[in-house]
Amino acid sequence: MIVAGREGGADGVRIVLETEEAMLLSELADQVDSVLLLGGDDDPALGRLFPSAYPDDREAAHDFTRYTRDNLVDGKRQAAQSVRDATATERDAGLVEIELDQAQAWGWLTFLTDLRLILAERVGVTDPDEAEPADDERDDYLRAAYEWAGIVQGSMLEVLDPIGR
Amino acid sequence: MTSTIEQLESDLVADEAVRPDLPWQTIVWDDPVNLMTYVTYVFRSYFGYPREEAERLMLQVHHEGRAVVASGNREAMERHVHAMHGYGLQATVSKAEP
Repeated sequence: MIVAGREGGADGVRIVLETEEAMLLSELADQVDSVLLLGGDDDPALGRLFPSAYPDDREAAHDFTRYTRDNLVDGKRQAAQSVRDATATERDAGLVEIELDQAQAWGWLTFLTDLRLILAERVGVTDPDEAEPADDERDDYLRAAYEWAGIVQGSMLEVLDPIGR
Repeated sequence: MTSTIEQLESDLVADEAVRPDLPWQTIVWDDPVNLMTYVTYVFRSYFGYPREEAERLMLQVHHEGRAVVASGNREAMERHVHAMHGYGLQATVSKAEP
């Protein structure tokens, strides 16, 4: 994975992914889209994506959810779908090069956040300083995806928001 | 004495009821997932805070568990919290402490 500025200093970011990385990201984006589409209120991952705006006021929390949830789901699904489509590739297709302007980059940043919130819930990340040993292969895979998504996001931020600007 | 206190309390309640502009707050809470650089970038981009202020608020969230990132009327705070949830931050609307 390479994350760099765009040609001519244009706003945004350029991302180059290995085929396998692009396929993984596309698959994860598709899964995030599915969670947003199908996830029931009993899915704890959705509690991380849509926290209560009024933890101490059930009625106000309910109203807030009623007015905002559809809009939030739409925005998060659009972000996931744009990442899924931008990274769609086939095995042996070679490097995948992606140019994102500022607005598109925000879509990626928010998608990567949502992805990490969901993965964190699945593998039980509650405290960053308390890395538990993974129980099985699935947890290994999810934890690796979680770490990698953080690296992609961190690399994007180094380009989009360089220290000292 | 008792009746005086009750009177005082009911006056306070009445004051609140006739003051719809009573300040509300947008509070962002610490979570173990979001990168510090991401939280700072959100504060800078969405609220327009200078880097120093955005970093101060981010560090306050990180070390103290929460930070007030905006104050104002309730509708504006709900818009901010809506936006923060869009960014994936844990945010709540709260009435300012008197």
